[in-house]
Amino acid sequence: MSDERDSGVWLRLMLVSFVANGIGPFGLKILTEMGLATQYQAQYLLYWYLGGFVFAAIALWRSGLRPHGTEVTLGALMGVCSLLGQSFTGLALSNGMPGHVVFPITTGGSLFLVASAGLLLFKEKVGPYGMAGMVLGIAALVGLSLG
Amino acid sequence: MNTGQVYMLLGLLSFSMLGVLHKVADVKHGRPPAINALLAVSSLVFVFAFVMFGTAGGPAVPRPVALIAIPFGISASVAILVFQAGVKHGSIATSWLAINLSAGIPTVASILIYGEPVGTKKALALALIPISMFLLWQDKKQQERRS
Repeated sequence: MSDERDSGVWLRLMLVSFVANGIGPFGLKILTEMGLATQYQAQYLLYWYLGGFVFAAIALWRSGLRPHGTEVTLGALMGVCSLLGQSFTGLALSNGMPGHVVFPITTGGSLFLVASAGLLLFKEKVGPYGMAGMVLGIAALVGLSLG
Repeated sequence: MNTGQVYMLLGLLSFSMLGVLHKVADVKHGRPPAINALLAVSSLVFVFAFVMFGTAGGPAVPRPVALIAIPFGISASVAILVFQAGVKHGSIATSWLAINLSAGIPTVASILIYGEPVGTKKALALALIPISMFLLWQDKKQQERRS
C-alpha cells in the first residue's frame, strides 16, 4: 500500500491538525476573560500571527527547502483569504448581521462550497460514509454556531 | 441585499477560497513547510500594517497579551502545516471538514474551564463531531480497500 493512500496516516495527521487548530483560537477567549480583548484585539492578532510565523519559519529552515514561485503565490493568496475571511466576518457582524446567521453561513457554507469544489473540480470520490460524515459535520458546526 | 449580507457573503467566499487553495497547493505539489511559511508571512505583514496604521496604540501591549497570543499562534501554525501534509493522504472535501470540526475544542474548553452553559443544541452538536470524524475515517478506509 502506498503511503499516499494510507487512511491511518490521514487520520493521525487530521487529528493533530484538529486539536492544534481547535486550541489556536482559545487564546482569544482567555484574553476576553481577562478583560483585555476589546482594547488589544488587533495587537493580540499581531502577536498570534508572529508566533505562527516563527514556528513556520523554523519548520521551513529545518526542512532545508527553498519555496518556489507557485508556493510563494499560493501561500500569499491563502494568507490574504484567511485575513479577508476574518475581516469580512467581523464587518458583517459590525454591520448588524446577527452572529447566529453569520457563523452558520460562513462556516457551514464554506464547508459545502469546498466539498463541492473537491467533488466537482478535483473529481474527488466520497462514498456513503463520507457523505454521511459531511452532513453530520456540517450539522454539528451549524449547531455549534446556533447553540 | 444590505451591506452586512454582502460582507457575510464575501467572508463565505474568502474562507471557501482558502479551502480550495489548500487543494490547489496539493495538486501543484506545494510542500507544506513552504506553503505554511508563506501563508504565515503574508498574514503577518497585513496584520502588522493594520496595527501600525489602523490602530491608535501601535504594537505595544501588556506582557500577558503577547504571552497568551504567541503559543496559541504557534498551535494554529502547527495545524496548517500538519493539515497540508494530511491533505496529500485524503480528499479536500473530507479533510476541510475534519479541520473545521475543531471548532468543538474551544467550545468544550470554555465549558470545562469557564463553566459556560451547555444547551441541548450545543450538546448535540458536540456529540456529532466524533461521529462525523469516525465516518470520514471509515470512508477513507473503504476507499483504500477499493483501490
